[in-house]
Amino acid sequence: MDFYLGLLQIIGVHTLLGLSAYVVLLTGQVSLAQAGFMAIGAYVSAMLTVLAKWALVPALLTGGAAAAAVACLVGFPALRVRGLMLVVATLAFGEAVRLFFFNFDYQIAMGGIKVGPLGGEGFRQIRYFPENGWTTFQVMVFIWLTVGVVMTALWWMDRSRVGAVLRAVGEDEVAAQSAGLNLTAVKVSAMTLGGFIAGVAGGLYAHYTTHIEQGNFNVLVATFAIAYPILGGLSNVFGTLAAVVFIQGFLIEGLRFLGDWRNLLFGALIVLAMNVRPGGLLDAQTMSKGLSALRRLLDPAYGSAAARQAIDGLKDAGAMFRRLIAKWKGAFGA
Amino acid sequence: MSIARTTALSAALGLALLAIPGTAQAQERQVKITGFGAMSGVVRSFGINSKAALEAAADRINRSGGVTLGDGAKGKIVIEFLDDRCNAEEGISVLRRIASSEALVAVGPTCSNVAEPLFGILQKKFGDAGDTGLQFPIFTDVAIKIGLAKISEWAFRNVPNETEMYATLFKWLKATKPNLKTIYGGVEENFAHSRATWYAVMKEVAAKEGFEIKGESKWLLEDTNFSNQAREAKKAEADIIAIAAHPFSTCGMLKEMARQGVKPKLLIGLTSSSSTETLQGCAGEAEAIIIPTSFAPINDQARAAADAVSKFKGSLDLHSGAAWENVFILKKIIEEQKVMAKPDTVKADREKIRAGLAKLTVTDGLIGKSKRTPDREAIKPYLFVHAKAGKWEVLHTPAVN
Amino acid sequence: MLFIDLLQSIADGLLFGATYSLIGIGFTLVFGVMHKINMAYAAASVAGAYAGLTLLKLAGLPPLLVIIMACLAGAVFGLLTYVLCFWLIPLSHPLATLMSTVGMLLLIDEIVVHLTAGMPVNYPTVMGGMVSLGSFLLRGDLMFIFTIAVLAMAALMYLIYRTRLGLATRAVSQQPVAAQLCGMRLGQVNALTFTISGALGGIAGSLIGSAVGLLSPLLIAPLTVKGLIVTVIGGLGSIPGAIIAGLLVGAAENVFQFVRGVTERDIYVMLLLFVFLVFRPGGILGADPGRN
Repeated sequence: MDFYLGLLQIIGVHTLLGLSAYVVLLTGQVSLAQAGFMAIGAYVSAMLTVLAKWALVPALLTGGAAAAAVACLVGFPALRVRGLMLVVATLAFGEAVRLFFFNFDYQIAMGGIKVGPLGGEGFRQIRYFPENGWTTFQVMVFIWLTVGVVMTALWWMDRSRVGAVLRAVGEDEVAAQSAGLNLTAVKVSAMTLGGFIAGVAGGLYAHYTTHIEQGNFNVLVATFAIAYPILGGLSNVFGTLAAVVFIQGFLIEGLRFLGDWRNLLFGALIVLAMNVRPGGLLDAQTMSKGLSALRRLLDPAYGSAAARQAIDGLKDAGAMFRRLIAKWKGAFGA
Repeated sequence: MSIARTTALSAALGLALLAIPGTAQAQERQVKITGFGAMSGVVRSFGINSKAALEAAADRINRSGGVTLGDGAKGKIVIEFLDDRCNAEEGISVLRRIASSEALVAVGPTCSNVAEPLFGILQKKFGDAGDTGLQFPIFTDVAIKIGLAKISEWAFRNVPNETEMYATLFKWLKATKPNLKTIYGGVEENFAHSRATWYAVMKEVAAKEGFEIKGESKWLLEDTNFSNQAREAKKAEADIIAIAAHPFSTCGMLKEMARQGVKPKLLIGLTSSSSTETLQGCAGEAEAIIIPTSFAPINDQARAAADAVSKFKGSLDLHSGAAWENVFILKKIIEEQKVMAKPDTVKADREKIRAGLAKLTVTDGLIGKSKRTPDREAIKPYLFVHAKAGKWEVLHTPAVN
Repeated sequence: MLFIDLLQSIADGLLFGATYSLIGIGFTLVFGVMHKINMAYAAASVAGAYAGLTLLKLAGLPPLLVIIMACLAGAVFGLLTYVLCFWLIPLSHPLATLMSTVGMLLLIDEIVVHLTAGMPVNYPTVMGGMVSLGSFLLRGDLMFIFTIAVLAMAALMYLIYRTRLGLATRAVSQQPVAAQLCGMRLGQVNALTFTISGALGGIAGSLIGSAVGLLSPLLIAPLTVKGLIVTVIGGLGSIPGAIIAGLLVGAAENVFQFVRGVTERDIYVMLLLFVFLVFRPGGILGADPGRN
């Protein structure tokens, strides 16, 4: 039982990380700085609970705010670059943040031993949860409450004018600008919001792992942050959640029974997933299909319609193979 | 993706998620010991060797009758090995999975950066009801960074005590090679273990033995250009160069030193580099490097163990040697503490094993007896090996404990 | 004395930068033609070097031929990357190929780990020796690598500007739809580009292996990051830009290390890069900063 609760904690925190990249991606920016923002949130909130003895929630919010402030500052210069340039610029910034913590020492003596971050050795004993009697279940509920709040807020945002504005900028900047949108404001706000969410994710990460070090916030983590929304699809927040469940729940933990093959399948299945579903696991089409199917399932009169849907699904599964055959013919001029 | 595929995929996903912690087999009594460590990434060889050593040791015990349980019945040791990919989060997940199964104790992990958070989620003080940390005994074989077991009373380690080993090494050098007076260090800054070994161990004990410290060069684990560092080392003109780094960067530095013609009178290496990796990477440049280690096939027992482990497709070295020893130590504890190994005694059995481990003052090992310290660490016997013509050879065996 | 050390440091860095240049050329070639980034490129290059070494040992050939073996293996991996990560994915999903190549990177990395148990492998020295100029010591093998990078650039320039294939490549890169209407097969041109860049990657991988003296999966992540950096600093799609940028990054790295120490080295490299990109988004020799 404990194991599933722990896994849910991990899925929760990674969902937050993915959502932080999701917000930024909506405006068409691919940011590899999310791991850096996560690091800021992790270090700040852990220092507050361990060294300053703050309560968890204000510490998490402060960590998030610190990350948001930095993200806002990065947002302005980052506006000047786009596409791959932005990917590399944010990668550089994220790495600079990580390396800052590699060189960051701030230790104070508490109860005879020194605590606090110590450069390359990391920051040990962030034991707020166990010391305050939180059970694994309670921690899990707390994390998912946070995820719930963030997801609801983003879901609402997506359906409001704000979401339309973000997407308009992401789809076509020039058109958005001609329609009178302030690109700077939109992009920087998205970056700031993404920074805040990543910071909170970092704070939670620090507290459930009890030990953080610079290596926990490397390029791979930044890559996964953007991988979740891309893999899940950008039509709504549930895509990101689906992708986190796919990667953390299925590829990492679910396939464990395969032993040595698990690691090889990890990359291979990501490649396969992108080939089969280039628009993400849950793209807009799938979502609407799924919703209407749900409606039909609830309505007994449509029993046969569900069967028809299933047949459609098989056809849909053949889409990739049709593409394959078409490409094959194209390549050999048949 | 439409319904059919969505359902199929989620069903597969659900099944895969549910098909985990070990389905309880209703056979005769089993004592489950779960190993975990890195089976992927650059540290994969550590996981392979630990797994092989655990399996070989269990096989040896089971074939000679198994373990005597608390009620006199005989039990078989069952080994499972899980991969944590040397990642903190995954290590925590793996430990929770193990604790949710019927395993009585875990042996692992490979990486210190996993051990640290892992020990952090354990209950700090045994019996402290206010601490909701996980209550599960871990008996580490590989993760070696100094002073980790003190994080939790559920954490035990059977890893070499580097301070002791290097102190003896420098004492021995002073006695046998009096012409060596100065030492210069090379340290892999972003690897916690390497760092700790140079700053807190080698540098300290060398100074205590009267060697003059000429400074140190620093690099990162994945660095490939060592031109500056080799030049600094050349300028220091030290008699000894001590490299606290893992095989990849140790070899990189040694190769650059060879290019720039840096030839110290003696080379000293990091304990963990006394494996086949270094020799596979740079046997030529590593010739004559001296490394203290806690394992070498120097007696019949150790040779037999090495043979047994190679049958399980692993090689026995200082790390997997500890995994092998741990199984035998645990067997003894299970018998002494009258562990029952029944499905309804799992919690009590784990506490018994913890108590047994805490009580140990001396344990048997492959090359001699180890002392146990009050902070749950080991002081293992050790010897000095050096690289000779592409092989590790025993150079000197200090008097064992 | 300090000044001489600094000079030597710059020289070492510049020379070592040649290895970054080689990787950068491959990244930029694919970007120039397809406007897509191939994250698996450095991984495939290192895998090419491993495969080259294996082939060399199997055939019992002299060490210098490792470059040719790696080149062949690299070409195969390049084509494989194209087929698995780009071929089937519609052009309208630019992020999908980014992710599929990340998956490929992880896959290649893990295959290498499984075949070698993650252990470093000694790599033969292709061109050895140090060249000394007064009190300066320069690495001969790195100068050889630099020469190869320049030759590769010349060969690619010839290919792109003087052959029919190059004409097609440029046409496809500038106006894919128009090129298709003129009867060019987009898929073929792209596949060929990947094969060529893969072959170059194999050469790069083997030369880097011999410069480092070792192969290890540890090489992959830093080379990927350096490759990306070199590509953008040089200006997307610019081959000479990638060469210059490689040398600059190598030198900057070594100088920061010399001045500020190894733990702070990369902070300054990264910050410098960030500032550079923000103030000169087109890179050193980039043509059109707005396009991506």
